[in-house]
Amino acid sequence: MKTRDQEYREMFMAEALEYYDSMSRHLSELERNPNAGPALNELFRLMHNLKANARAMGFNDLGEVAHHLETLFGLIRDQERTFSGSLIRVVFAGVDALGNMIRAVGANQPLPDATALLENLDRLVRGEEPILDETEAAETEEESNKKMELSDLVYIQVKKLDNLLNLVGELVIDRDRIMTLAQELDNPALLATAQHLFRISDDLQYSVMDARLVGVGVLLNKFPRVVRDVASAEDKEVELTLSGQDVQIDRNILQIITDALLHLVRNAVSHGLETKEQRAKAGKPPVGRLTLSALTERDDVLIQVGDDGRGIDTESVRRKAVERGLTTASAAAGLSEQAVWAFLFEPGFSMAQQVTDISGRGVGLDVVKLALDSLGGQLRVESQLGVGTTFTLVLPTSIAVKGALLVEVEERPYAVPLLHTDTVLSLHPGQISVVGGVMVTHFQEQSVPLVPLRQLLYDEGDGPLPLATRDDIVGPQQVLVVNYNNRRLGLVVDRFIRQQNIVIKPLSKPLDTIDLFGGVTLLGSGQVCLVLDVPALTRLFLNKRP
Amino acid sequence: MNKRILIVDDSFYMRTMLKNMLTDAGYEVVGEAANGAQALEMATATTPDLITLDVILPDNTGLDVLKSLRQSQPSAKVVMCSAVGQEVIVNEAIENGALAYIVKPFSEEKVLEIVGAALKSDSPEQAA
Repeated sequence: MKTRDQEYREMFMAEALEYYDSMSRHLSELERNPNAGPALNELFRLMHNLKANARAMGFNDLGEVAHHLETLFGLIRDQERTFSGSLIRVVFAGVDALGNMIRAVGANQPLPDATALLENLDRLVRGEEPILDETEAAETEEESNKKMELSDLVYIQVKKLDNLLNLVGELVIDRDRIMTLAQELDNPALLATAQHLFRISDDLQYSVMDARLVGVGVLLNKFPRVVRDVASAEDKEVELTLSGQDVQIDRNILQIITDALLHLVRNAVSHGLETKEQRAKAGKPPVGRLTLSALTERDDVLIQVGDDGRGIDTESVRRKAVERGLTTASAAAGLSEQAVWAFLFEPGFSMAQQVTDISGRGVGLDVVKLALDSLGGQLRVESQLGVGTTFTLVLPTSIAVKGALLVEVEERPYAVPLLHTDTVLSLHPGQISVVGGVMVTHFQEQSVPLVPLRQLLYDEGDGPLPLATRDDIVGPQQVLVVNYNNRRLGLVVDRFIRQQNIVIKPLSKPLDTIDLFGGVTLLGSGQVCLVLDVPALTRLFLNKRP
Repeated sequence: MNKRILIVDDSFYMRTMLKNMLTDAGYEVVGEAANGAQALEMATATTPDLITLDVILPDNTGLDVLKSLRQSQPSAKVVMCSAVGQEVIVNEAIENGALAYIVKPFSEEKVLEIVGAALKSDSPEQAA
């Protein structure tokens, strides 16, 4: 688990080793030219920084040696001492000691004793002669020759990693093309090389993705402070529990969901959790519990915000959805809890101020949903009136490479991200009924509407979809069940091609305004394949259903 | 509106620690400069409400940077940041318009207290 303390420690180490290397460099410069002003200034600055950083980390002995050396270099700079004679020996011993201490910190070992060195540095500062032990001095010198180390940590701009990931994306596409060509040409030597290339580029792709991963903790650890502030503003007592800080996720994904998570946490404290009085009345302990946890599920990362507050009043949401004309009263009555809660994510659902009756849950939830949609993620809700609410963000671990199912319609391939697919079904006409002009099937005790993908993609105009009749259903139907915002929809396709990892490229202008497509990918055959945007398809179906 | 802060320190570790403390407390850190030239450039570009300024910088002394900042960004409040041993410079900085100083190693409480007080106080040109 990578806590903030550990991050500070790694940062301290990386910088301390860098300082140490610079010190050694400037010392040699000073040995050649004892009056080199810039080198003296730098040594003074490096000692000063190392002292401050070491003290902040609690490595006081290290700070003490650096402090003494800083003072000494200050005196040399101000020409009260000269860099000569026994002073040189002690200064070198001092910098060596710093190196050993820094390495000891890195290895989690106790810091070596520096009493004798500090004593000598004190003497030099006072203008006295140091007490030198000949054998010891010789030994240190020899040791310092052996230990030449570079920092194990490199800091890199995210922009550079983005570029690397894009290049790998291009490479993977070419690799797939070469693979296909090799199979078509049926040349064993080419095929063997292509397979080798396949493995290497696979490793490369995962290594690059791995380099971009950070612990979710870097974000979660910011929340105790947020919770404390919101709670004190609302006069509530909240106990926050964090878990799963070590779960790894792409740094840019974490960046994109920062605001969404902040929003959910603030909402949970100010609206989800009741006031102390309300909690007492409900027989709950006065301190509200809030959990913020991260876990991995298959290839996804789940981040959950859970409270033990008042829960969502489903009936209020149901009434409100009807009031706002999002659904009819009769349709609303038949909706499951999950389907009702999905209204909370509708844009502007709680723009009106009377949100308190639905626990204020609607405020800006559509923004959270939008952030997740842009990542191809999902937002789930679990709530029980009077017991609490948990929001779950389902996120991909990495950007850009996604699992997808390839389907074919009218001899063209389309890719559907696996994140939004529930299952594939092959249905006999008998398993399909027609209700009000819409095909419906039963799946896992739910009725799922079916629509030919062809109609959603190729029918022009804003008019409703044509009414389905029994006569349209000839032979087995290949159905891909997709899921968006707890709504299931069955897409009827001509055939399933295969499942594969795809690299999604954004559509370029002027095509980027077509929201049915989340992007484009190139298949190994060189064929261009559009990536379907399931949220947009679902919305289109709801708007055009007869 | 969150108060906007520019951090000037040549140590990455120190900048990160300061940034975390300030961001956690709800301030917006608009930039991090590692030397005097960057500090002046970023101060002009971001016009922060407050600047934390390290006393010792690689290219320039904090004092010189402070003097330039007083010219180019008179409305920005400046808090000096220094480890012990630099009291002479710090005092000179206060005389030159810095509002307060933070002594390294610092605690989160101390930093927030000093920064909060500096932001509340009259800007130096009004005080003068």
